[in-house]
Amino acid sequence: MPRWKGKGSQAKANADPMSKIVSQLQSSLIQSETRGLLSSCSVLVEVDAELADLLNRSCFGRPRITAQEDKQWFQLDLEEAFYLCFSLKCLKVIGEDGYIKSNEELWDYLKSKKPVFPVSYKVYSHLRHKNWVVRSGLQYGVDFVAYRHHPALVHSEYAVLVLSEGDNDLNGRLRVWSDVHCTVRLCGSVAKTLLTVIVNGNNQGANSPSCLEHYTVEEQTITRWNPERSREDQTGPKNGTKK
Amino acid sequence: MKPRWKGKGSEAKASADPMSKIVSQLHSSLIRSVARGLLLSRNVLIEADAELSYLFNRTRFGRSRITSQEEKQWFQLDMEEAFYLCFSLECLKGIGKDGSIKSNKELWEYSKSEKPAFPISYKAYSHLRHKNWVVRSGLQYGVDFIAYRHLPALIHSEYAVLALSKGDNELNGRLRVWSDVHCTVRLCGSVAKTLLVLFVDSNSQGTSSPSCLEHYTVEEETITRWNPEQSREDQTSLRNQTNLGTI
Repeated sequence: MPRWKGKGSQAKANADPMSKIVSQLQSSLIQSETRGLLSSCSVLVEVDAELADLLNRSCFGRPRITAQEDKQWFQLDLEEAFYLCFSLKCLKVIGEDGYIKSNEELWDYLKSKKPVFPVSYKVYSHLRHKNWVVRSGLQYGVDFVAYRHHPALVHSEYAVLVLSEGDNDLNGRLRVWSDVHCTVRLCGSVAKTLLTVIVNGNNQGANSPSCLEHYTVEEQTITRWNPERSREDQTGPKNGTKK
Repeated sequence: MKPRWKGKGSEAKASADPMSKIVSQLHSSLIRSVARGLLLSRNVLIEADAELSYLFNRTRFGRSRITSQEEKQWFQLDMEEAFYLCFSLECLKGIGKDGSIKSNKELWEYSKSEKPAFPISYKAYSHLRHKNWVVRSGLQYGVDFIAYRHLPALIHSEYAVLALSKGDNELNGRLRVWSDVHCTVRLCGSVAKTLLVLFVDSNSQGTSSPSCLEHYTVEEETITRWNPEQSREDQTSLRNQTNLGTI
């Protein structure tokens, strides 16, 4: 159940669906022919006031404080940048050599920075396609946190861990019971449900981003089972009717 | 972290009755009663009279189990606890399903078959118990063990312990990625415990027999948050020429 922050938040969210905001962002980026700069593990974009507002409202990137007063800079995570470039086709990225990177080149670069990128990206885009806001979950000890709308309006419901079916070297989490307990307990303490998203590469490999389309995704939540709350109603059988 | 004693007088009580002495009493009692433990899957079950029950509780070895028997109490020991009593303290013998007494080597092989990481886990457990710490399962806190300076009734647990194998990474299921480090440190912080990682190095001794353990080494490392605000030098100290650094 979504936990909306304050009265009127749910109404605001319904009046202004995330899909619409993202669409506006997409148009604005295309119109302005925005270019991102590759910088190690992020992409930096210079934006005007309109784009800054759209990036904030759609929750892509984080604003960075600079000495420039008239322009705003945003820093995008790898998954965010690739989503704008490859899925939404509204951003192009320039490498350190000054040339625009093709999606293939960008894919190879991102894989070199983060070997698990293909699987991580599949999960990010899977959730974003469903219009969830997806942000880094590192401070909560997970990969992503997913919000039904803008974090100012709603608390995040899901703490997401990315897992890879079969190919176990890529999996760093939930290999042992103590990690399952640790994660479920931490998620509980911050009122989020643990959502594991298991990606199956279906032997497609990861040579090019077009492989992604053949990956399949399985969602599983992991929660505590409380015997007390899961008992059948004791009075049920006597009346002959199920409560 | 300073020990957080529960209530006044706890620290004095603990000093008057050191864990080493209580464990020694347990040791004597087990030897006198020629205690035998029954191997059952991942546990060892022991029948205990009133005196032994009291000592198990005081030293925090095992958990008491409710049964229909009124006069006898049954305790369930984890593999590490049982092996510690059998091999390190030499005051207990384990009996297999076939009714025969298991030698330490047989018990070692059995424990390894139930839990491949047992050599690492046991080295960590015994390392702490030898220092007279109370060591319990840490599963509900998402770690391997919880270590107390004395009885849990007297003191809040201080360390949440993860036992990791140095070098041999296949055995390590934790702290392989940053999200796990954040998860664990944050959870430990929320239950007021410090994360203690024990890196066990087998020094290429292998695991063929419990005598290998003697050549394993253990490196202790705590992992805590670094707070820049709390780690600044005192601004006025520069003026006073004295270092009052606050931690």
